[in-house]
Amino acid sequence: MNHEIARGPSFAVLKVGLQRGDVLTAEAGSMVSRFTRVKMRTRLNSPRGAGFFGTLGAFITALIRKFVAGESFMVNDFTCEEGGEVTLAPTFSGTIAVRQLHGDRILLTRGAFLACTGDLQLKMRWGGLRGLLAREGLFFMEVSGTGQLFYTSYGGTLEVPVNGTLTVDHGHVVAFDPTLDFKIRLPGGGFLGLVASGVGLVMEFSGRGTVVLQSRNVSTLTSWLTPRLP
Amino acid sequence: MQTEILQRPDFSMVRATFDRAGEAIVATAGTMVSRDTSVQMKTGLTGGLLASAKRKLLGGESLFLNTFTASQPGETVYLAPAAEGDIVELRVHSGESLYIHSGAFLAGEASVKLDTKWGGAKGFFGAGMFLLKAEGDGRVLVNAYGALHPVDVSGQGFICDNENVVAFTDGLQYDVRRIGGMKGLFFSGEGLVCHFRGRGRLWMQTRNPARFAAWVHPFRRTKAKVEAGN
Amino acid sequence: MQIDLQHRPSQAMAHVVLMPGESVTAESGAMVGMTPNVQVQTGSGGLLKGLKRMFGGESFFRNTFICSQGSEVGEVYLAATLPGDLTVLDVGASKYYLQSHAYVASTPGVDVDTRLGGFKTFLSGEGLFVLKTTGQGQVIAGAFGAIEEVRVRGEYIIDTGHLVAWEDSLQFRITKAADGWIASWLSGEGLVCHFTGNGTLWMQTRNPSEYGEEIGRRLPPREG
Repeated sequence: MNHEIARGPSFAVLKVGLQRGDVLTAEAGSMVSRFTRVKMRTRLNSPRGAGFFGTLGAFITALIRKFVAGESFMVNDFTCEEGGEVTLAPTFSGTIAVRQLHGDRILLTRGAFLACTGDLQLKMRWGGLRGLLAREGLFFMEVSGTGQLFYTSYGGTLEVPVNGTLTVDHGHVVAFDPTLDFKIRLPGGGFLGLVASGVGLVMEFSGRGTVVLQSRNVSTLTSWLTPRLP
Repeated sequence: MQTEILQRPDFSMVRATFDRAGEAIVATAGTMVSRDTSVQMKTGLTGGLLASAKRKLLGGESLFLNTFTASQPGETVYLAPAAEGDIVELRVHSGESLYIHSGAFLAGEASVKLDTKWGGAKGFFGAGMFLLKAEGDGRVLVNAYGALHPVDVSGQGFICDNENVVAFTDGLQYDVRRIGGMKGLFFSGEGLVCHFRGRGRLWMQTRNPARFAAWVHPFRRTKAKVEAGN
Repeated sequence: MQIDLQHRPSQAMAHVVLMPGESVTAESGAMVGMTPNVQVQTGSGGLLKGLKRMFGGESFFRNTFICSQGSEVGEVYLAATLPGDLTVLDVGASKYYLQSHAYVASTPGVDVDTRLGGFKTFLSGEGLFVLKTTGQGQVIAGAFGAIEEVRVRGEYIIDTGHLVAWEDSLQFRITKAADGWIASWLSGEGLVCHFTGNGTLWMQTRNPSEYGEEIGRRLPPREG
């Protein structure tokens, strides 16, 4: 399997060349185009070969993910016997990044997952009670195992190493190392701050590790749009 | 204070690095991406609450602003606007003010005075937007929806759709009107335009926020549907 | 007349320079700025044409920008609604179909007609209509995202929301994304466009309806 991230950085698409035996697992709805001979099989977002109870558990987890975390209920597996190409794109403008995992882990925020290959496990992790204050709830996807992970951002990405503590608007977080501790806080600045500062919930990271930031934020976009609506 | 503009040109983001404790940057509410936790954040209204109340009573406008103050040298703040597009840094000098669309003002040094002046009896923009006058001495960071396109105005002048106006220099006179005659008044789909004359520089943005809001409007859920769902 | 595309690939804007007497016709609302010696005429190009456009989801009126007679050239800056790239198609020996939202502007010799795209295009959410461009001249087409040019040799499948334009030498069929209706719905891909033949198609790297849905559902609801 080979891949190319084209048309970056702002409207990146992922082009994957599939050989016999390759499987690309992608977020439902992300396909742009494919060679006619590329096969697409839709399945529940659960580990392959899980068995009945595994599948039931996966069904419930998938439902939770759909309604709370915005991840799709289903994923598409793309394969091609004779060799072919499939192109995927996310919904928002921005980049696509690839991360090779060798038995390590990475935490992704909601909506950042695009596709993966190899032997990767995708688990949901809860952000804590304060996370419920965020309109969409605060769930993270923990990706672990060995394989390639393709994730997206709204806007450009910047990797920021944490030295001491770093406060980040939670809508601007794409991914972070699980070695970091984090607390979810109100933005600060007192009552006026909560109402007027415009900053949503913030995540306060501490420890050692890297946070991947995205330079745009969907919540801020909708707040910006709202007064301009007809 | 050092300012850098990253992720250009589509998802531009500002990184402000403070040189001394006590240095500050004033930014529009809702634009913080991240900051070193030790940076102080205070929310206020332009000129303070009392001045803003006076302005509201007399028919002026107010902006919610956050002031970020460094407690140590080397601390950083990342700021990003809501819409996708570019950011440019401009300087104001005494005697050379800048007129900026209130939605385009991202941040500025504390030495820059913001006067909320609204443009003309006919109104310059819709949706509670207004023209800001930036005076004094210092840097301002201005953002656009889309790319920033500067036009050097002289001679016959230049006509710009109001929604595409980002900022312009002091030496320009402006005259707001509609184009296309009677039919154009109702049907051209072009809103208010501004005829700039004199000598100076105008910055346009290549995308129109009102058009985008009108485009997204049909995708909103209808009240009836939302109530039925509850 | 000169057409110069600036701020590519993501925030593209067309800078059109008109000689005295020359004109360019554009989609309602496409003007960003212009020199004062350009006159704007709002018209429909014919009642039937205007009505067809309206049914196609476009505006009844189009604006024609004419450079006044005199010694100076006129300039008009035009842009699409969503961020993305622009491309100029040369209409003449080749004729093109455009997804209706992709039209930004065209020169006077080009005839732009609204055609029925077929019932299935309607189901796919992309609207019932496509635009057919014939005649002689240039068409400026806008995309949401970057534009990828694909040379189709035989066949190709593309998600309908990612279509911008294609040569009329290609045949297209709207089909289900997967083998069954339920499977297609579950896959999230909905309906796809199956192209056969030889020719070039232009696709955009983002899907406007998908984007609109994602933003729309986060906005306050509107009066029904």
